[in-house]
Amino acid sequence: MRLEVDDDELAACVSCGLCLPHCPTYRVTGEESASPRGRIAAMRAVHAGAEAGPAFTSFMDLCVQCRGCEAACPSGVPFGRLMEGARRTLVAERRYQPWWRRAGYRLLGHHRLLLAASSAAALAQRAGLVPARLGLPRLPVRRPRLDASGTDAWLFTGCVMDAWMRPTHAAALRAMEATGAGVTPVGAGCCGALAEHAGLAEVAGGQAARVVASMTGTAPVVVDSAGCGAVMKDYGRLLGTPGAQAFAGRVMDVSEWLATRPLPTGRRLPLRVAVQDPCHLRHVQRAHAHVRTVLTPYVEEVVELDDDGLCCGAGGAYATVHPDMAARIRALKLEAIAGARPDVVASSNPGCAMHLAAAGVVVRHPVEIIAEALGGPEALGG
Amino acid sequence: MRTLLEDLTAALGAGAVKGDPLELALYARDASVMEGSAGCVCFPTDAAQVQAVVGVARAHGRSVVPRGSGTGLAGGAVPIGKPGAEPVVVVTTRMNRILSVDAAARTAWVEPGVLNLDLSRAVAHLGLHFAPDPSSQQACSVGGNVANNSGGPHCLAYGVTTAHVLAVEVVLSDGSVARLGGTDPDPTGYDLRGAFVGSEGTMGLATAVLVRLTPLPPAVRTLLADFPSAESAAETVSAVIAAGVVPAALEMMDQRITVAVEDFVHAGFPTDAAAVLLAEIDGLPGGVDAAVATVVELARRHGARQVRVAADEAERALLWKGRKSAFGAVARIAPDYYLHDAVVPRTRLSEVLQRVYEIADANHVGVMNVFHAGDGNLHPLFLFDRRVPGALERVHEAAGEVLRICLDAGGVLSGEHGIGLEKRDYMPLLFSEDDLAAQDALRRAFDPERLFNPDKVLPSGSRCGDIRSLPEGVWV
Repeated sequence: MRLEVDDDELAACVSCGLCLPHCPTYRVTGEESASPRGRIAAMRAVHAGAEAGPAFTSFMDLCVQCRGCEAACPSGVPFGRLMEGARRTLVAERRYQPWWRRAGYRLLGHHRLLLAASSAAALAQRAGLVPARLGLPRLPVRRPRLDASGTDAWLFTGCVMDAWMRPTHAAALRAMEATGAGVTPVGAGCCGALAEHAGLAEVAGGQAARVVASMTGTAPVVVDSAGCGAVMKDYGRLLGTPGAQAFAGRVMDVSEWLATRPLPTGRRLPLRVAVQDPCHLRHVQRAHAHVRTVLTPYVEEVVELDDDGLCCGAGGAYATVHPDMAARIRALKLEAIAGARPDVVASSNPGCAMHLAAAGVVVRHPVEIIAEALGGPEALGG
Repeated sequence: MRTLLEDLTAALGAGAVKGDPLELALYARDASVMEGSAGCVCFPTDAAQVQAVVGVARAHGRSVVPRGSGTGLAGGAVPIGKPGAEPVVVVTTRMNRILSVDAAARTAWVEPGVLNLDLSRAVAHLGLHFAPDPSSQQACSVGGNVANNSGGPHCLAYGVTTAHVLAVEVVLSDGSVARLGGTDPDPTGYDLRGAFVGSEGTMGLATAVLVRLTPLPPAVRTLLADFPSAESAAETVSAVIAAGVVPAALEMMDQRITVAVEDFVHAGFPTDAAAVLLAEIDGLPGGVDAAVATVVELARRHGARQVRVAADEAERALLWKGRKSAFGAVARIAPDYYLHDAVVPRTRLSEVLQRVYEIADANHVGVMNVFHAGDGNLHPLFLFDRRVPGALERVHEAAGEVLRICLDAGGVLSGEHGIGLEKRDYMPLLFSEDDLAAQDALRRAFDPERLFNPDKVLPSGSRCGDIRSLPEGVWV
């Protein structure tokens, strides 16, 4: 089977193994097949004609796509692209992604439908009809309104995050406006990240095109979900148009954007905050330093986790698709968090936040902490 | 009779044994460029399970190839066996617990799969670390360090792995468990621990290691000097040692590797220098200052254009990241590399280096040099693309020539990577038949049936009537 990958990129790995300790599934299993080096070796074997049986699909499917290996790779192997290419090929061959997963990724692009489904699920939860083993957080029945205040920047509100965690968007607006900017929140459905990671290129492309069309002009496109921001910064490659390229250049993580502004004065909250770097902020956007810059003035202490930014196991849809592996990876993160003894963990990605919260960790988005420090009518805490 | 896979599965459980052909292919090689073929791969979690694996392998007439993280560069973990009798690869990654730490005695019992850097991090709060620091230290395992008697930049002052291993618990080929060495400063009897460390998995499989932990130095200074010629850098190295300064590390990089590394880490390495020296001095603050002054003075006297002392820990870490990423960074220039490892007397460094360039040019092979200059441990890196016909053969040719000139200069075959499969057949260049027979006798004392890693280290001729041919695809 010829994989949809670049031959030179596939040849770039020298098998040195420096990626191994930075791969969450390798850390948990100790197996080559669950490591970046082993996955590349498997891709090479299949690309060269070895049979792509169920083992190959399972090796590709177990990857969280955290891309911690890319940051660790001295050879600069673009592992994320290789993995997406391999999955695209598997999808095209119809061996991969069952109908219910495909339907799920498509639903994320239909925002009104998603909001309605989420509200229905919330009511069902209240009525005790949703089994706890599904691991859903307590879903909101009502959501705060997000009002536009000006045109200095867009705030992208996404799909699941808007349905389940809209108070985070409200906090982002509050923090952004406190720097003197006028902001317009825009919901255009899913950014396409989840479908892209799953190898569903067509679904991802359609969702991405809709997002690009929804935020015209030259104002920065601010994103408060690290996973969305990472793929939106990559729209140029994903869509292959000059317009998408220009759009991608305007995308900024909310902390990255705040760090370019004069930070408003606020209270200093008596909190010891551990920063959990979402993989797609640290390894892909490489914009994680800004979180510390913007949090430091508002809290007593910012502390680091000592795990070199190892993935927490959330991985977008990963924790839903591979709950056991996600929990085993999370156990490593919980150890690192326990070692740092924080009052609260700051995470810039909704997936990570929900995954950690499900294990009892007190998690907040950095903008929620900042909004609380700035005070305000909404009382936006936790 | 049940199959090998069934017997291993019965012994270890389903999740701990792998037999799918695609999965086995992932264990065909390590970080070297050689390839073999695994019969089965298993993941024991303790000594009892290793014993069980050894029993099953013997019953099925299969050899056992131990494997840690698979970062070895001499092919030590490459499974070699006749078709139908491929070895059982025993992976230690699930034996990765730190069993006990004795802060007062500065020792720790660890399982072989504990990663080198994880161990140092785990004891850092006690002011201690595990001193051997191979460039792969973030990924390589303590068991692998023991097998290869691994070195690293800081081994110039601290000594290689064997100086940091007090005892090993090993499973032998008859399935018994033996403890070699102990905590006594001078254990009675023969130093069997010393024989085992560096035996490259040919005598048994270590299931626990008692390591010595070293206090973190109270003061550390790292400096980078750049030179207009490789000769002047090499002469500085000799002068520093001659002046009685023993830096914790003394590393040299030529211009080509410096450019590759700078492109990766952006640490401000001078890309226009013919060679750079990275030196680290540690110890008590007063002594460190004096030694730094001496090194700076000697570097200047030998023509260093600039000497930069790292201002803080972040700058120091960045300089080291560059040095330790050197091998991988090379892949930005060519898709494959062959990393050589040889040792020459320090005083012959610059002339041997010159010869290395000539040999590479004559064979039309790209070469870069980064090495532990303080102990004369050369690491020429030959660049190639295995997809180009003949490229691998030319590298092979150049590597052999380099080895011969190193031996002619009074050097040895390997500084730290080990012999493995890569240099096995060069052993007769350094050792007589009697020497090799004596080494084989020692190995047979541990493993009379050659159960463990049989085709490594000693050439087949060192045992009478035992001619083994290498499978296709393997080159040494």
